[in-house]
Amino acid sequence: MSDSILVTSLDEALKWGTGKSLWPFTFGLACCAIEMMSAMGSDYDWARFGSDVFRDSPRHSDLMIVSGTVTKKMAPRIRRLYDQMAFPKFVISMGACASAGGPYVRGYSVVDGVDQVVPVDVYVYGCPPRPEALIQALKMLQDRIVAGRVKH
Amino acid sequence: MMGRIQFPSTGGRGTDMEDKVIEVNFGPQHPSTHGVLRIKVKLDGEIIVDAQPVIGYLHRNAEKLAEMGAYPKGMIYIDRLDYVAALNMELGYVLAVENLMDVQVPERALWIRQMMVELNREASHLIWLGTHGLDMGMLTPFFYCFRERERILRIFDEITGSRLLYNYFAIGGVYSDITPKAIDMIKEWTEDFGTKLEEIQSILGKSYIYVSRTKGVGTLSAEDVLSYGVTGPMQRASGIKRDLRKDSPYLFYDKVNFDVPYRTEGDVYARFLVRIEEMRQSIKIVKQVLEKLPQGDFYNKKYSKPMLVRLKATGESYVPTESPKGEFGIHLIGDGSSIPYRVRIRSPSFANLSSIPTMLKGYKIADLTAAVSSIDPVFGEVDR
Amino acid sequence: MIPVESESSTKNGIKVIYVAKENILPFLKEKKEEGFDTLLMISGVDYKDHLEVLYHLLSSKNNTRIIVKTKTDGEVDSVTSLWKGADWHERETWDLVGIKFKNHPNLKRILLAEGWVGHPLRKDYPMDKKQYVNLADDGEDTVSFDRGEGY
Repeated sequence: MSDSILVTSLDEALKWGTGKSLWPFTFGLACCAIEMMSAMGSDYDWARFGSDVFRDSPRHSDLMIVSGTVTKKMAPRIRRLYDQMAFPKFVISMGACASAGGPYVRGYSVVDGVDQVVPVDVYVYGCPPRPEALIQALKMLQDRIVAGRVKH
Repeated sequence: MMGRIQFPSTGGRGTDMEDKVIEVNFGPQHPSTHGVLRIKVKLDGEIIVDAQPVIGYLHRNAEKLAEMGAYPKGMIYIDRLDYVAALNMELGYVLAVENLMDVQVPERALWIRQMMVELNREASHLIWLGTHGLDMGMLTPFFYCFRERERILRIFDEITGSRLLYNYFAIGGVYSDITPKAIDMIKEWTEDFGTKLEEIQSILGKSYIYVSRTKGVGTLSAEDVLSYGVTGPMQRASGIKRDLRKDSPYLFYDKVNFDVPYRTEGDVYARFLVRIEEMRQSIKIVKQVLEKLPQGDFYNKKYSKPMLVRLKATGESYVPTESPKGEFGIHLIGDGSSIPYRVRIRSPSFANLSSIPTMLKGYKIADLTAAVSSIDPVFGEVDR
Repeated sequence: MIPVESESSTKNGIKVIYVAKENILPFLKEKKEEGFDTLLMISGVDYKDHLEVLYHLLSSKNNTRIIVKTKTDGEVDSVTSLWKGADWHERETWDLVGIKFKNHPNLKRILLAEGWVGHPLRKDYPMDKKQYVNLADDGEDTVSFDRGEGY
């Protein structure tokens, strides 16, 4: 009985710790990457939400923000980058293009949604989403991690 | 995928040089690629022997999709070409369409366009300056530049209702007039942006490390510039004084006073100085537009929004404009229907980027990020 | 003097010159010597019964521009010997419109993955037939009509 209480609370502490220290991956694809940079820039400063350390290597980071159009040529590379990330790992699909192909959905070389390649936790709408929307997505992801409602 | 290094099989020092050439893969995911550029670099020790860029990781079929819808519908794809300077892209498209259809545009709309384009040029150069600083290992300029850029974006937000991709220029004018509040914001911005710019310039330009890492690096000669079709600030940094705003003026660039900065060194530092000076000239242009802005309509009443999709055109037209990256133009061919037959985009970054093999050959691997970021490539436009 | 087939102009007065496709390389060489030192772009247009190649030339000293056009059935001479920048433009025209350039040093696809079927800017390109790109073990792309293991 005492064992189980200890394990549960450690689990809670781990969830809390994971949620509040997400390290995003510096990975810009297209237009949305500029808004992602704005979100980490001076005015929006999303370091306030415990997610300030942008890492340049997939091995160091646990949050991938797919910011922009996923083309057929880039999709397998995104998959490989996702595979290189260490567990636990989370994906935010930022903007209309990454979520569903956006205005390019009729095109011949655009993947209609990054969720065909990697599992996505939070979708952000907008073309491009404002930095506030991205920050809301981050908060949403953090709340879900803390509440234990993420699958992987 | 990153840093796939094949070490020489012989190993050790003192072997013959051919065995020492190693191949390093740079990108498509790398913090200094400004998007999704991949370069296959061949190295002899630290010296770059050969660098071949691989592009196409953001090929979004802009040309094909623009040929599938009515003329005003093409705007969404044109907007997203050079996404840091979307209004400059829109300008190239609307000028080509208006030229093809003989649309008259009211004077006020043209002045508004000119001011917005110059403001967007500032925003684009600020992004370049911030990320260039990041590539050179400096985090401070990034925050300074983004602080200043947000002020410009707030002006855009007030006028167009959008921060990054505007869809603001319409065939026959602009979609909304400038509000008095926006004019106050622009006036306030023109007054103190000059000093802020000096502050940002001094962070980089007075840093010994920055200057010694950029002077004499990534040099392009004037012959190479012409041979590769390089345009814009890169061309002007290599001693060719060409600016379409001066040479073949469109809008009202012949009625405002500004200089074309140019330098002859052709290296990364010269491009830095040219772009900074261009930003100063843009402030001058915006100030003059505010003084000269006439009253009147902001769009041609004959071309109201619902009838735009029914516009038909024949013939062909190519209108060159000076975007922040270089000469941007759209070659439109109409076949008499309301859908353009061919939309061909001349993208400056594509031509500028093709000069990478010449630009990098013989330099050290550490100079690669400096040289690549000095091109200011935006991949929406390179890959279209 | 290389014979010119016909002349016209765009709506804003840029001269358009039609040249026979055998004469395109000598004609452009002549124009380069006349002072048209910059090749702005090469593009291809599919007119259903024939293809056209467009060369936008600019004289940076005199500030004049011309557009040289040639009708072809799918093959013209490469102009990479005149301008280094022609390399990428010709590769792109081959990639998207499917015009072959004779004597080009490296005529491969540039924007789409190597192995892609068809040329998308042709008017008869099937837009509903999807193609997928996967990574082979050596890091190069493979193209297939089925999704493959990556999706």
